[in-house]
Amino acid sequence: MSFSLKFKLALLDNVIWLMLFCFFILCLIGVPEFASATNIVNIFYHSSIMSMLVLAEGFVLLSGKLDLSIDGILAFAPGAVILLATKWAPDVFGNPWLCLVLTIILGGLVGFFNGFCVAKLDMNPFMQTLSMSIILRGLVLFLIPLSIFPLNPAYSYIGKARVSLLGHNIPVTIIAVLLIYSAFGFILRRTVFGRNYMATGGNERASYVAGINTTRMILYGYIIAGMLAAFAGILTAGRQDSVSNTMGNGTVMLAFAGALLGGTSMSGGKGSAFGMLGGSLLLGMFSNSLNLLGVTVTLVHAAQGTLIFVAILVDRLRIRARVRLLRNEQLKKLKESEAMLG
Amino acid sequence: MSSERLAGFPALKLKNITKVYPGVIALEEVNVEVLSGEVHGLIGKNGAGKSTLVGIIAGLIQPTSGLIEINGRRFSSLTRAQGMQEGIAIVTQEPEVILDISVAENLFLGEQPASFGLVDQREMYRKTEKILTDYGLNISPGYRAGDLSLSERQLLLILKACVADDAGIVILDEASAPLTQKDARLLQSMVKSLRDAGKAIVYISHHIDELLGICDRLTVLRDGRSVITCDISSLNHQSLSELIVGEPLSGQNPKPDIAGEVAGEALLSLSEFTKWGAFESVNLTVSRGEVVGLAGLRGSGRTELMKAIAGIDPPDAGRMTFKGRKCSFGTPDVALREGIAYLPEEREMEGLIKGFSIKDNLILNCLHILSSYGVIRKNDCDLLSEKVFRDVECKAFSTEQDVDELSGGNKQKVLIGRIMALKPDLYLMDEPTRGVDIGAKKSIQSLIMKNIRGSAGVLVSSPGLDDLIEICDRILVMYKGRIVACYKGPCFEEHALFMEIQGITDTEAAEADAAAR
Repeated sequence: MSFSLKFKLALLDNVIWLMLFCFFILCLIGVPEFASATNIVNIFYHSSIMSMLVLAEGFVLLSGKLDLSIDGILAFAPGAVILLATKWAPDVFGNPWLCLVLTIILGGLVGFFNGFCVAKLDMNPFMQTLSMSIILRGLVLFLIPLSIFPLNPAYSYIGKARVSLLGHNIPVTIIAVLLIYSAFGFILRRTVFGRNYMATGGNERASYVAGINTTRMILYGYIIAGMLAAFAGILTAGRQDSVSNTMGNGTVMLAFAGALLGGTSMSGGKGSAFGMLGGSLLLGMFSNSLNLLGVTVTLVHAAQGTLIFVAILVDRLRIRARVRLLRNEQLKKLKESEAMLG
Repeated sequence: MSSERLAGFPALKLKNITKVYPGVIALEEVNVEVLSGEVHGLIGKNGAGKSTLVGIIAGLIQPTSGLIEINGRRFSSLTRAQGMQEGIAIVTQEPEVILDISVAENLFLGEQPASFGLVDQREMYRKTEKILTDYGLNISPGYRAGDLSLSERQLLLILKACVADDAGIVILDEASAPLTQKDARLLQSMVKSLRDAGKAIVYISHHIDELLGICDRLTVLRDGRSVITCDISSLNHQSLSELIVGEPLSGQNPKPDIAGEVAGEALLSLSEFTKWGAFESVNLTVSRGEVVGLAGLRGSGRTELMKAIAGIDPPDAGRMTFKGRKCSFGTPDVALREGIAYLPEEREMEGLIKGFSIKDNLILNCLHILSSYGVIRKNDCDLLSEKVFRDVECKAFSTEQDVDELSGGNKQKVLIGRIMALKPDLYLMDEPTRGVDIGAKKSIQSLIMKNIRGSAGVLVSSPGLDDLIEICDRILVMYKGRIVACYKGPCFEEHALFMEIQGITDTEAAEADAAAR
């Protein structure tokens, strides 16, 4: 394969970063106050929670399933744990570090239940996680009619604190999110688990025949998504220094959008953590620039919808371009071999 | 067979039909004439060109040259829409009905009796009732089609093609494959009454018995040519299978050797291996360094047997000894760890991971070897995948290419490479040369002969005999879920094997032929 073809293919595979770059340049020119370091940090900070949800949703999508309950977990896991720590059993669960761990475990447990129903009982993932989402939202409304605040500083540290780095006050959230993303990038590309997981999404039956325990893979996918969603919950709670019943409300569709923007395939097996990060950053940068331009919050949603549409369109064009590139290459080879034959 | 029926006018004429695929001539100057009011059989070995010919008649494939004449109208090629317009219907071995609507609605799908755009339900049910009773099909028009057995669905589809859609030319492409024995007899009487109603029926089957029982005339295809078209009364089991195989039967059959013990370390042995409804009481051994063929028609239980050994669909009963130890595998990962690798028959469905590169597909089974503490060692992966990639002579730009972009033959090589990379002790290869071009077929065969058989045992299946005869040390014949014969190489008598696959024993055939006379 020639270098230029390789380059073009690599560009096509990472089209989200290309879009992000173009949008960035556009904003630099058109949006006042966009180009400050503070604002750039701000964009990262504001897309961090969404980026965790995108990773959670994208991870489940990679296995060929989906999860509608991640925003429910986002509210439920920290909500229930903080309730334990402040109202029900403060003496036992008073330790904030224990609470952090418990939150993640609770998210994982909900994910385990989802995964068990989907992988072992063979339930439809859409229906099952939809019901779970409604259950969790209902529970959150019931358990936390009023916000609980303030939280223990140790619990809200990851969501709120800032550290001084390279002369800037960088939120801890950003560092955590970037670490998690690189970890998942590594897991998906370089570990046996990651490859088997992706294979399961690419072709479940073939993976089973090839000796992969596909049931377990799907189960793990939901557990990890639940834990990531719970982590997003910790970030949200930390940022607002409280738990409330509105946390993460209605964000699950945006999480889908971010994952799809990042090149994750709805049918599984295709996608990367790097792409998902790009997808969430584009969502974040988009709403940030609209805010700076003074567009009302009510319109931002519609604009985001449009962005999603454009992204899907670009994705279709990308696949076509890829096919055409490869076909041209094959034709060229054929012609060469014909010429050689005389 | 009475002669006035044969005096019908030619409904379908194929003249000098040739179809050339890149690198292969699938059909060469084929001539077939099907009369109205006759059942015309079409038979040939795998790869003789039956499916291409059927595709051309139905309008699914366009011939390279030649003439198609339907009821006197001439075409150089047909599209499917034209084919339907000319009244050509095709029923394949996969009964595709719409599961959630009733039998009557399925039967009249697209042709519903209607007034002012409203379907006349009562009229439709009445007509359905009549058709079903006329042809002796004992189901109610109101049944949900999904509740019918496969066999009943198939009969329903045949009725839809012939009666409801009123096609003049009906192609039954191995349409009897999903039928139960009882329904197969019903099909026979159905086909006969359709013939008497003046339809031209092209009947394709792998079973000689069935063809001899149902057809009026018969065309034999061999290597893409029409060898002969003749009246059924001039044929018997013996002469027909000679025509199909293309070599006269030499007087002496090699003595079949059912026990089939071969010197050398017995790698795998099965005793009384059974999965109800698929295969029964199978006994076989495979030794190290031996290539054992498993011949049999589709549905004879070959695939199911292999899947049972590999732990994909575990057997119901029986014992299995592998490498001297008793074992049974409930899932494929256990079998793989023990050293049994299965090459799936359904390449796309059960083999390849779409969206993965060639490299990722190649190393999928050996990730545990190529990793430490769950982390993959990239260099080792590259080395192994490059080596296997060269070994199997896969033609692609690089191992980084998406596996979807390869041709069928190269996809197959990737799959073979995947199980070779694991160096298993036993290879179960289910139709390794299915749907690949002739070049790829040769190189896959030489892979099996040179790279694979040395240290491992191989069990290879195929619906065609030619491939097996070329590479096998021993050939086992499966018929209706049982192993009925075992032939030892190196020289095989194709004709004798062919008769075994058909389930025709010498005495039986002689009796049947005598009865026919």
